[in-house]
Formats: sequence, structure tokens, C-alpha cells
Amino acid sequence: MALTKSEWTELEKKASTVRNLTLDICNWAGGAHMGGSLSAIDFLTLLYYKYLNFDPNNYEDPNRDRCIVSKGHIGVAIAALFSELGLIEKEELKTFNLTGSKLGVHLDCHKVKGLEASTGSLGHGSAIALGEALAARVNGRNYKVWVLLGDGECDEGSVWEAAMATANFKATNLITVVDRNKCMIDGFTEDVMKLEPFADKWRAFGFEVIEVDGHHLQKLSDAMEKAMQQKDKPVCLILDTIKGAGISFMEGNHKWHYGAMDEEKYEISKKDLAEYEAKRLARVEMEA
Amino acid sequence: MKDVSITQDDQYAARIFFNSALPLLKVVIQSKPGLKAKFERKSFVFQVSALYDKAPGGKMATHFVFNKGEISVKVSEAHPNPDIELEFPDLKKFIIFFSGKGSPLPKMKGVVKNLGTFVLLLKGLMTMAKLLGAQDAPKEKEDQELLVKLYFYLLPNGISQLNKAGYEKIHEFVLKSPDRAYAFAVTGYPELNSYIRMKEGNTKAGRGEYPRCKPFLTLRFDSPQHALDILMGKGDMVDYMADKYLIVEGAPEFAGVFGEFMLTIAAYAKAEYMN
Amino acid sequence: MGGMNYTVVDSKRLATAEIYGKTLCELGEKDRRVVALTADLAGSTKIGDFREKFPERFFNVGIAEQNLFGIAAGMAKTGLIPFISTFSVFASMRATDQLHTDICYQRENVKIIGSHSGTSYGQAGSTHHAIEDIAMVRSLANLKVIVPADGFETANAVRAAYAMDGPVYIRINRGFDMNVYENEDYGFEFGKGVLLHGGDDVAIIANGCCVFQAVQAARILESDYGIGARVIDLHTIKPIDKEIILKAAEETRRIITVEDHTILGGLGTAVGEVVLENGRACAFKKLGLNDCFSAIGFHEDLMTANGIDTANIVKTAVDMMKYAHVVEISSEGKTTRALKFDDRDFEAEIDWTDEV
Repeated sequence: MALTKSEWTELEKKASTVRNLTLDICNWAGGAHMGGSLSAIDFLTLLYYKYLNFDPNNYEDPNRDRCIVSKGHIGVAIAALFSELGLIEKEELKTFNLTGSKLGVHLDCHKVKGLEASTGSLGHGSAIALGEALAARVNGRNYKVWVLLGDGECDEGSVWEAAMATANFKATNLITVVDRNKCMIDGFTEDVMKLEPFADKWRAFGFEVIEVDGHHLQKLSDAMEKAMQQKDKPVCLILDTIKGAGISFMEGNHKWHYGAMDEEKYEISKKDLAEYEAKRLARVEMEA
Repeated sequence: MKDVSITQDDQYAARIFFNSALPLLKVVIQSKPGLKAKFERKSFVFQVSALYDKAPGGKMATHFVFNKGEISVKVSEAHPNPDIELEFPDLKKFIIFFSGKGSPLPKMKGVVKNLGTFVLLLKGLMTMAKLLGAQDAPKEKEDQELLVKLYFYLLPNGISQLNKAGYEKIHEFVLKSPDRAYAFAVTGYPELNSYIRMKEGNTKAGRGEYPRCKPFLTLRFDSPQHALDILMGKGDMVDYMADKYLIVEGAPEFAGVFGEFMLTIAAYAKAEYMN
Repeated sequence: MGGMNYTVVDSKRLATAEIYGKTLCELGEKDRRVVALTADLAGSTKIGDFREKFPERFFNVGIAEQNLFGIAAGMAKTGLIPFISTFSVFASMRATDQLHTDICYQRENVKIIGSHSGTSYGQAGSTHHAIEDIAMVRSLANLKVIVPADGFETANAVRAAYAMDGPVYIRINRGFDMNVYENEDYGFEFGKGVLLHGGDDVAIIANGCCVFQAVQAARILESDYGIGARVIDLHTIKPIDKEIILKAAEETRRIITVEDHTILGGLGTAVGEVVLENGRACAFKKLGLNDCFSAIGFHEDLMTANGIDTANIVKTAVDMMKYAHVVEISSEGKTTRALKFDDRDFEAEIDWTDEV
């Protein structure tokens, strides 16, 4: 049990805050990549609030841990999270996607403090993350690099080039995380381009695979700690997630990869997220 | 004259000897100050020839006009009345003699009348034969440089002659060639430079640095000794290139082709086809 | 001595014209941030020299160019200075998205050495020819582009790339190019063309392997035809030296560009843009591949076939002198220079007798 009850509760609340803020931004902007954001927020919250050696007040520290969100289309979620971390002004979130804004669908690392890379073109994050991981040994530093991929993103050959190289160079300070929400734009991943046997593929590439419920913070914590301790092989952490988790009409619906938001949908979403938070906190009570 | 069948190879070899090798006598004489001085007061015509019914006038010849120190070489041109002549009964014997394969003696005309001069000429010819026929590099530095010069003057000239004679492998290459010059050089010894210019079927061999522009390919050696190593087959081209004894200025593929042509000339100069 | 048979590994030993490997090692010695990467081409390019000296700072990612560029971007993000080397055709096209997004857009300090460019890997055929790479990389914002003329210029380019901040693309050949310069100290300046031959009749602007051809052409034009050709080694495509181009346009009124590249979008186009924007009328001809793939063959033969060798530059210049004649026109007391069409005969007789 990696988390104490109070830690778990705090983190649940934090994740919920980020979810709500993401929804708000989506509302202000008129639409966003909600599906993939909601499936990843639990992991990102846990990472940034518990495990990542990252200080928002010293975001350029060369010894920091790094997180590269390769599925860069969830910029809206990153913006929400970063705002909570104090890296982006809350007011600025209202300019999301507007002309002249520093924030848009795919965030710019030169415009957002603490953002490691400008991702958005899928399949790039793993290689960049690997470069940073290898640089640690060249520079004589000791940090971890996390890269978050979408599962559809794993159609890209460049993901596997980087995977092969990660194992080849034994870059165990790089932890690859896949948000396996089983959906992509044109449908379910298994209907568009089959990924299964997905875990086996990573194993074949030389990874230690850890599969975990991506929406259970306690189990996720255990898994992440296990990943961080692995020294023999690089780790691939496959998160079993639900695209659009927390909002009824988005859950498991590939059409909500990107969707428009209006007043009506916003009200429903807000209510759903409140219910979802309650459900999650109840689970804490039950299991902690 | 006895009935001897002259082959295509004989014709090629003869061309090389008459037009490319014999002219080197001038170079030898002018390189040896002692010898050179002795010719300074003399004026005469010296000719080497071989009877050949297919040649104009029935003989192939190269003659030298010595005029008080000045020497003009006239290739493929028979002088009507040379003062001294070495006349071979046929091309084959001429080739055998000059390739060092044997010594069928030619008819020697005007020797008795000009004995002193003839002895000097013989000295020149023997020096040339000794240098070109040697298996190992000469010991004297001056002779090393002279031998490099002889090779460097002989090879492009020989290639040009074979092209003009229609020797297939070379002529095919020259036909397809745009205007390009291939050169030999030894760093620090500009007098040893030579080249051959090729353009769409035509060739011209020249001595000294190629005047028009930087050649398409230059085989540049860092010393006369290393040049001789390669020319005499004692060094490996790839190794020498890696060690920078030989620098190929230009693409190695063409150096390879050019190298093959050089080998062809060398083979004719040794009359290897007669083996 | 026989024919020259050499292996791929030998080719690295023999490519004495390419000395940038040594320069890279010098930089690596001086600055521990310098790292080198390749995609299985260490044995074929001089970046292998770096591997010998600094194995812990050298990374071979195997045949995976996208990964190569991505990893380099990641390394640059941590403050390292990655030099990556692969064939130009792959550097510019196989990993364009990574070059565009990870390196140029994010302004990462990555230096790309694209080798075997143009048709220099002649025998390998079009899959290995890079005849569009300049057109492509030129269009990427934040990327500087240098096309060195020979090994010495490459060494200078590598040093210049190291000294500046931001991504740089250096385009070189196999390492068998003829030397244009005698050493590295001829005054290389990033972004400034080099005047190699003076002349006011026609300007020949070239880069890469075509510079040597242009210089020889200028010598022949002078000796055989009495034509004064100005030769400019325009090694930096971006940022381009507008001044030297405009001066050539102004003073010669005839420009020929020569590149081992398609005439669409490369050096010729870049020079044309400058001339056109300046509003100067000029006789203008781009020599290069005519919107076609190249045949297979030795590089030198391909240069001839593709019209970028000395002979064709000479011919183009001679023709240009025939049809674009600069005359002075006086009217109402004012004199201006204009291009007029006129016929001038140029002849060059060749004596084919061997020297004996």
C-alpha cells in the first residue's frame, strides 16, 4: 500500500480538481480533447503530486525528473494541471485556443513553463524522452524520465524504434506509460488497427510490463513505485483506462476524442464529475 | 625479309615503342649533364626503324634531329637520309629488342662513319633500357627522379597512342569521356608532372602541369620513392592512399580505371603478350 | 598496381578529403557537451572517428532515422550539443517530421550532417540520392543550412555550427570531392559567399561539389574564350548572402547557378529570389537536375550527364555571352547598361598531337 488514507484522499480531490478545471477550459474554448484527457489525469496527477522530482519554482533544475506527454493533444489537461501547480496563471486558461494565446490544443514548450517538449505529432515523445534519459548518463546526473503515450499512438513506427533503442541502451531511468483507453478517432483501437497482444509486444521489445487500473490511485501508486525500482529492464506501465472517464456521455465513447462543449453539456458534465468524485472518495473509505 | 606474321598486339606494342618510349631518349640525354654536353657540338639525324609493309614507305620509324644541343623528336616519321640508323627487319624483332626479351640485332647504318656519336647514342639507349627494365628502384636519387619522369612521360603517352590506334578498351572509354585530364604528380617535383587529356574519342598526352585547369584526376605522390614503389608494383595502392603516400585527387573509381590503363601500357612495354 | 577495389570500410579510410571527423573530435575534446549520433552509418562516415575517441558520448541507434532525430532533440533539451550524421536523403526526408517538430519548431541545438548528398553516391541510385534536400530543409524555419565545397570548408562549417545556437544542417558528399581550398584558413565566414575567381562578364554561383567545377570552368573561359567569369562559393543557403548576389547581378548581368540538386527550390531558386526581389534584370540560368531523378553511375559521370560539370558550365557561359550582351545605351545625356541580344563567335581549337 503505497498511499496512506489521507494521501489517497488528497490525491483523489486533486485529480478531481484537475478534471473540473479541464472541463472549464474546454467550456471556455468551446471544445477540447476531453476523452484522452480524462483517461490520463489520474496518472498525471499522481505523478506530479507524488512521484516526480519536480519543483514548479525551479522547473529548469538540471537534476529534475522529466515527464513528456507524448500524447500532446491533451494539452488542455496539461494546462489545467500546470495551473494547479502554479506554472500557468488561472486567468490565462481562459485564453485557451484564442488568437495570440500562449495556450492552444498542442502546447508550446517555449511558451509554457515547465513543459518539457512541444508534442502533438504523435510518436515523437518516446525518442525525445530516451534522448533525455541517455543524456543523464552523459551529464553524470541521476533523474527519471516518464513518457506518456496514447495507445493509438503506438501505431506509429517511431514508438517502436524508440522502444527497441530503450531496451538496447538499457535506459531503465526511462519509464514508458501507455494510456490504454482502447479508443482512437475512428473507433476502438481493436477495430481500426489491432494492438493486442499489446503487453506481449512490449515484453518482446525487452520491457518489464506492469498492467494496472489507471483510475485506481492506490493500485496505480503501487505500480508506479514498482516501476521506479526496476533496474534490469526498462518498464512499460500499461494503464487500463476509460476514455472520457467521469463524464457519462463521454465514457468509452471514441467520438469524444475531441468534442465541442455547450452550456447544456457543460451542466451535465459538471454534475457527472461531482458524482464521480463522490464515488471515488467512497471507494477510498471502503478500501483504505 | 622473312615472312613474319605481325599481330595486332605487335602493332600496338610497336606504336608504344616508336611513339612513346623511344622519344624518352631525349629526356635521358637531357637529364644526364655529361651526356648532354657531348652532344652539344654535334648535328646529325638518328633514326630507329623497323620494316613493315603496312606502314607508309614500308617502314615504321622515329627519328631524332640533333642540332648542336637541340633535339627534335619526330615520331612515326621516316627520315629519307638519316646519318645513323638502326633498322630492324620486322616489327617483332624491334619489339623483342626494346622490351628486353632478346637481342636480335638490327642493321646498323652509318655507325662506322659516326662511331663516336653512335657510342654516345648507345650509352643513352642503354641508360634508358637499364632504368626502364629494372626490377628494383635505382639507388641514386637522380636516377630515381629520372625514372619517375620516364614512367610519367611514357604512361600517358602510351595510353594516348593506344587510343589513337583504336585499342578497344581504352578507345571505348575515351569515346564516352567528356573533356577530362588525368595527371601524375609528385609533390615538390613539378618537372615530373605529366597528363593526358581525353575528350570524346581524342587524346593528348602532355608534359608538365596541365595548363587549362585542375585535372579531373591526379595521382599525386609524396615522393619519387613512393611513386616508384607503386609503378614497380612494390606497394599496395589502397595502403599507400591510407598512408597518404599516394593521394588521389578525384574519385577512386576513375583512379582504378586509369590504373588498369597504366598496367596495359606496362604490359606492352614488357611485351608480355609474347609470353 | 591494379584496379582500385575497396570496401565500404576502406572508403572511410580513403575519404581523405573529409576531415570533419577530426574537427568533431577536437570540439569533443574541448567541450564535453558535444555528443555524436548516427543511424548505423558510423562506418561509412567520418562520425566514426568520434566514436573511437569518445565511445561514451557516441550513440548508434541502428537503422532508425526518426528515432535518431528524436533522441538528438531530447539530448539537446538537457544542454548537450548533438551532432547527428546520416545520409542526406534520410536526414531530410525520412525524419522530416522530427526535424520539423522536435528540432526546428522547438529550436533545439542539434547539428545535422547529411552526407552522400546530391548524386554523390552515384552507384547507389535514386533511393540514396538527395536531390531535393535543400529545397526541403530551406523551408524549415529556424534551421540554418550550409553546403560546403570541400573537406576544408566542411571543417569550418562544423566549427561554425558548433559556435552558433540553434539547429544547423550541413550537406556534404562522400569524401572524395576535389579540394577547392588549400587549407581551412581562407577566411570562411558563415552566411558570406566566397569570391574564388574575379570576372565581370558572367557570374557562376555554386555550392558543394559544383564549386570545383565552376572554378575550372572559369579558368577555361578565361584562357580559351577570353571570358571573365566570376565564381562565388555560396556555401550558406540560409541565411543567404544577398549582398554578394546583388553585386554579381549588378556588375555582370549574367548569372549561372550550379548545384547537385533539382533546379526546383534549391540554390538556383534561392539566388533567383534575391535577384528578382531586387528588380534587376539579369540573364539567368539554373544548372542542376531538371526535375528528374538521376541515372546510376559514378558521381563524376552523373555530373556530366546532369549538366553540372565544367564543360557544361563553360558551354552555358559561352552561350549566355552570345545571347545576353551588355551594352551601354545613352539617351538624353544619361547612360545606362542594358542587356541586348547579339551574336559573338567564340572558338577554341584543340591540337590533339601528343607532346614528345
